[in-house]
Amino acid sequence: MFRFDAEKSVHFCDGMRRRDFLHAGSLGLLGLTLSDFLALKAAGQVDPARDVNCIMLMLVGGPSQLDTWDMKPDAPAEIRGPYKAIPTNVAGIQISEIFPRMAKHADKYALLRSVYHTGAGVHDVGHQYMQTGRFFQFGNEQPHFGCVLSKLKGPKGDAPPHVLLPRPIGNTGGNLPHGQNAGFLGKTFDPFVLNADPSDANFQVPDLVSPDYLPSMRVDGRSSMRHLVDNAVSHLESIPDARLLDSNFQSAYRLMSSESARSAFDLSKEDDKTKDRYGRNRFGMSCLLARRMIERGVRFVTVNMFETVFNEITWDIHGSAPFSPIECYRDLIGPMFDHAYSALLEDLHDRGLLQDTLVLAMGEFGRTPKVNPAGGRDHWTNCWTMLMGGGGIKGGQVIGASDEIGAYPKDRPISPPDIAATIYKALGIDIETPIVGASNRPVPVVDYGHHPIAELF
Amino acid sequence: MPRLSRALLASAAVVVLSGAFGAPKADTRDGTGDLAILPHAVVLRGQGSRQQLIVEARAGTTYTGNRTATSTFASSNPNVATVDAAGVVAAVSDGRAIITARAGEVSASTVVEVERASAPYPLTFRNHVVPVLTRAGCNSGPCHGSLSGKNGFKLTLRGYDPDLDYLTLTRQAAARRINKVEPARSLMLLKPTLAVSHGGGKRFATRSPEYGVIAQWIAAGTPAPADWDPSMTRLEVFPSAARLKPGDEQPLVVRAHFSDGHAEDVTRWVKFSSNEGAVATVSEDGVAKVQGAGEAAISAWYLSQIVTARITSPFPHHIDAAAYARAPRANFIDGLVLTKLSELNIEPSPLSSDTEFIRRAYLDAAGILPAPEEVRAFLSDTSAGKRARLIDALLERPEFVDYWAYKWSDLLLVSSRSLPSNAMWSYYNWIRSSVAADKPWDQMARELLTASGNTLANGAANYYVLHKNPIDVTENVAMTFMGFSITCARCHNHPLEKWTQKDYYQMANLFSRIAVKNGPDRGDLIVYPARTGEINHPRLNVPLAPRPLDGPSLPIEAETDRRQFFAEWLVSPDNTFFARAVVNRVWKNFMGRGLVEGVDDIRDANPPSNPALLSALTRDFVAHRFEVKHLVRTIMNSTTYQLSSRPTATNAADLKYHSHYIARRLPAEVILDAISQVTGVAENFPGYPGRRALQLPDAAVDSYFLTAFGRPPRVTAADSERQQEPSITQALHVINGDTINQKLAAPRGLIQILIDGKSDNRTAVERIYLAALSRHPSDEELRTLSRAMDDGLARGGPDSPRRPVLEDLAWAVLTGREFLFNH
Repeated sequence: MFRFDAEKSVHFCDGMRRRDFLHAGSLGLLGLTLSDFLALKAAGQVDPARDVNCIMLMLVGGPSQLDTWDMKPDAPAEIRGPYKAIPTNVAGIQISEIFPRMAKHADKYALLRSVYHTGAGVHDVGHQYMQTGRFFQFGNEQPHFGCVLSKLKGPKGDAPPHVLLPRPIGNTGGNLPHGQNAGFLGKTFDPFVLNADPSDANFQVPDLVSPDYLPSMRVDGRSSMRHLVDNAVSHLESIPDARLLDSNFQSAYRLMSSESARSAFDLSKEDDKTKDRYGRNRFGMSCLLARRMIERGVRFVTVNMFETVFNEITWDIHGSAPFSPIECYRDLIGPMFDHAYSALLEDLHDRGLLQDTLVLAMGEFGRTPKVNPAGGRDHWTNCWTMLMGGGGIKGGQVIGASDEIGAYPKDRPISPPDIAATIYKALGIDIETPIVGASNRPVPVVDYGHHPIAELF
Repeated sequence: MPRLSRALLASAAVVVLSGAFGAPKADTRDGTGDLAILPHAVVLRGQGSRQQLIVEARAGTTYTGNRTATSTFASSNPNVATVDAAGVVAAVSDGRAIITARAGEVSASTVVEVERASAPYPLTFRNHVVPVLTRAGCNSGPCHGSLSGKNGFKLTLRGYDPDLDYLTLTRQAAARRINKVEPARSLMLLKPTLAVSHGGGKRFATRSPEYGVIAQWIAAGTPAPADWDPSMTRLEVFPSAARLKPGDEQPLVVRAHFSDGHAEDVTRWVKFSSNEGAVATVSEDGVAKVQGAGEAAISAWYLSQIVTARITSPFPHHIDAAAYARAPRANFIDGLVLTKLSELNIEPSPLSSDTEFIRRAYLDAAGILPAPEEVRAFLSDTSAGKRARLIDALLERPEFVDYWAYKWSDLLLVSSRSLPSNAMWSYYNWIRSSVAADKPWDQMARELLTASGNTLANGAANYYVLHKNPIDVTENVAMTFMGFSITCARCHNHPLEKWTQKDYYQMANLFSRIAVKNGPDRGDLIVYPARTGEINHPRLNVPLAPRPLDGPSLPIEAETDRRQFFAEWLVSPDNTFFARAVVNRVWKNFMGRGLVEGVDDIRDANPPSNPALLSALTRDFVAHRFEVKHLVRTIMNSTTYQLSSRPTATNAADLKYHSHYIARRLPAEVILDAISQVTGVAENFPGYPGRRALQLPDAAVDSYFLTAFGRPPRVTAADSERQQEPSITQALHVINGDTINQKLAAPRGLIQILIDGKSDNRTAVERIYLAALSRHPSDEELRTLSRAMDDGLARGGPDSPRRPVLEDLAWAVLTGREFLFNH
């Protein structure tokens, strides 16, 4: 079936043998389940006119609402914390002084100030809620928004549909899944994980390019030979992981062979000024990389601002080791986010991409209204703020409100499934679209009874 | 088996009764034996006491379908107990009645004893009101059970602290929640019935049993939870097992027994769940519905206890009974596996070939490939018992020690990320020498958990350097040595298991007297038992008597080393948690799936795929003094282990009952070692020259290959830390990365030998196949691959060297599914 005897070369670098792939009788090429898409389109559950992509910034650790985007300047000192509120370019909206740049772009994002969840105040649980819209029960792992999008829409061109930068969320104390993969949809729809730090001087995607000593012709010949070897033991095809192995090889070859897909990972094509603007750190460069990927056909990019909350300066400001002090917001984390986020919005806007790119910035929970004895704030799931912009979202507005100390929603409480419904709507996916769940039963992408936040559209 | 009550014994003259439950004998009155009524005996105590009866069709000792709705019921004495058309029997006056159910030509009976029918049974807050709040969802996580409550009203999650809930309900909010004068005006009833506005909506109706329980309790003067409240002693579900087919519905009835001798039908208040929704789902009311073939466990949770009913739904195949009868049985494993397979109509695959077996055995037991000469010798051996002899020899190899030392180092978290290098070595060396000495598992656990002294001298003591506080030790010990997580119970009773917060802190207090101080050398610490130290239960604010889970407690003033007490309990042959957990881990190593899957998720609600087999293996392991090698030998010698991985026409869907060997990707370290072994070019790990991956003591050794292929970081003992799924990153690495490519390009090793020996294409294919796949290539493979090599050479031009095409062939084999998988 594989055209091993194809006589000519088969160039590898320019679009490599698309037909040979078809000859190879490929299985789902990294979620290329065209039938899903066509069927859903026919059923009106995927809006073909809306081709909206998404960049999701996971602010791992849980930013304090009171020190960032829900300031309470009139509250007592032990509530309002060390930072002052500053005005933004939208009258009436104030944010923390630690974000002077994003204050100039408040017209481009909406602040959701009454987000809450009802699970345990554990990082991992919040990650599940915020990345899937659900809490995991009975060993049933729910799929990340980006994985659902991969499943429903498949890849656009040669790039993977969903990329996770720079690394998955690791240990955050709960030893629970973080909701960062495809869960019950199956590993085929897991994100492509970069597993490298884009701010490294010699950053490149590991192994994306063949080594010098392997000419492209040989890479090709090897692939053909591999098919011959595998085809002789077809009985192993009944193993799901063996099929996944094959589709991974095919996806890898697509990535390698496509100029545009490779270029999505190539930060050397960005000028110094742009890099400075985003911030030459792991998060800043991940945001820049995210923009490149969206430009080159990736549908969903998840950027984890941090990998863990231990022994690293993060949003997790308990005030004592191994966690972070509240001052780090002013000295490190705030500026890092301020640079990257404002640059991302501005850049997408300037390139005309913002309208079709939903940009989310969210933590897994908020923090206790009262500053603790260590001068920090602890986990608080009852109320916090997240940001949504681009992708048709009406910016320059505040949705919901917290009470006078930022402890509970005063107005329009927003739960994780409400957020999920809003994200799917922005991405052009009907929130009742069925996906096949763990027990082979179709479940809607969002639990019934939840609706997109209408004011945002 | 505990007897139900006096009434049951007294009624023996009326009907022939079986034990309280379980295998029913001839308890149908007419003796036809094909209908049964459950429960087999009912005692109703107190005014208004009721019990739902279930009528089941029966074949032999197996329940095969629900007949409740199609049965007609009659009471022999309606003045004592009535029965309605739905099968609910209700107390009228003291005495005894026989309830008969008739479905068509057959009937069955049960005896009902009524006691104290004129006295209302006193409702308690603990045993009645809290379950109502739980069932109605009031104290659930999204509602008032949330950590911060809801609208200023906070209950404990699923009612784990009745005393606190009682105070909240009766004292907080200016006691407005209760109106003792006019119970119906209590907020506790007005809110959930939506008589006044309620954010949580309507939870129950004014005529519901929920309303009745709360109203009755308020009318009785809101009695507080008391120490003398009856406690639940046992929970039962009826039927406890049934064999059904897709589409069938099976109502379940749950009965709770209390310490004062009374029993109640609590079905309405139970939380049901299914472990295998693809086989059976269950409604909130406890009606299971069969969805597909296989087995499902339906769990019923009530007052922090759990009981499960097993629903068996055989596959719709017609398997000749002879297929099971003639299947070879090498030891007790095979009989128990075949019994399960026949119950489910799953056919076993045939035996693996010798080439499949030798490769599989080497990889699973020692993490290495057999050398080509070993394969040849094994294939040419025609004597009986050669597989058993191969296993015996394999178990004595040094690579066997490497492999199991590595495996236990994963479990025990050996890593220089968390220990200084010399201490890490000391810890690893203790593990490796234990494996090398065939130290029994109980002895290893005892030495580890009671370790004292210098960590450089006694490697085991590093366990207490890694796990510093009672919380950490408790949770790690449970996962490592008992195979489950009790982390939930740190903050509240486990929501779906029986472990309470009290259980947790009693166990934690066993580890509150461990101290660590600096030793004489760099990296050396001294672990010693402290004379004092307690951990408080966070709500009670006092330390509790140290007590292992479900074990005896140690008086809090006792001066013995509490760890010693714990270790003795842990490794006792009577403690099934301990042996079962390691048996399950070892089983998974060879069989690709735990009998309980995952291996650190052993819970009542996640029962084994073959309970009889897990019990038998556990007993055998204990009887053989916890010798891991004996267990390994038993498993490897079973026919079950030696079955082919090729599914038959009907057993491909089975990945749970071991009808065929479950093929799976090899672990990261095994793949890397195998690549080195085949290519003849060793991997050079920084700081560990000359060591194979499976000989590394440390998980922190830098290796992109191992990381990409899912080596566990050894941060937690969770089995899920090891990733064995293929990924794009792995594909990219084998295509473009240095690991394989440089081994192939090295001017030595297999490729160089083939070049130097001027091997022709067929010889090269033959040698690479034997080294990598432990088999000879087929004629077809020889033909197509030699031709492909010729084509490759032709493309390169007339003078092209042989090396590239040999490298490409080896690459294709080393990245193929047959090589990367164990099968």
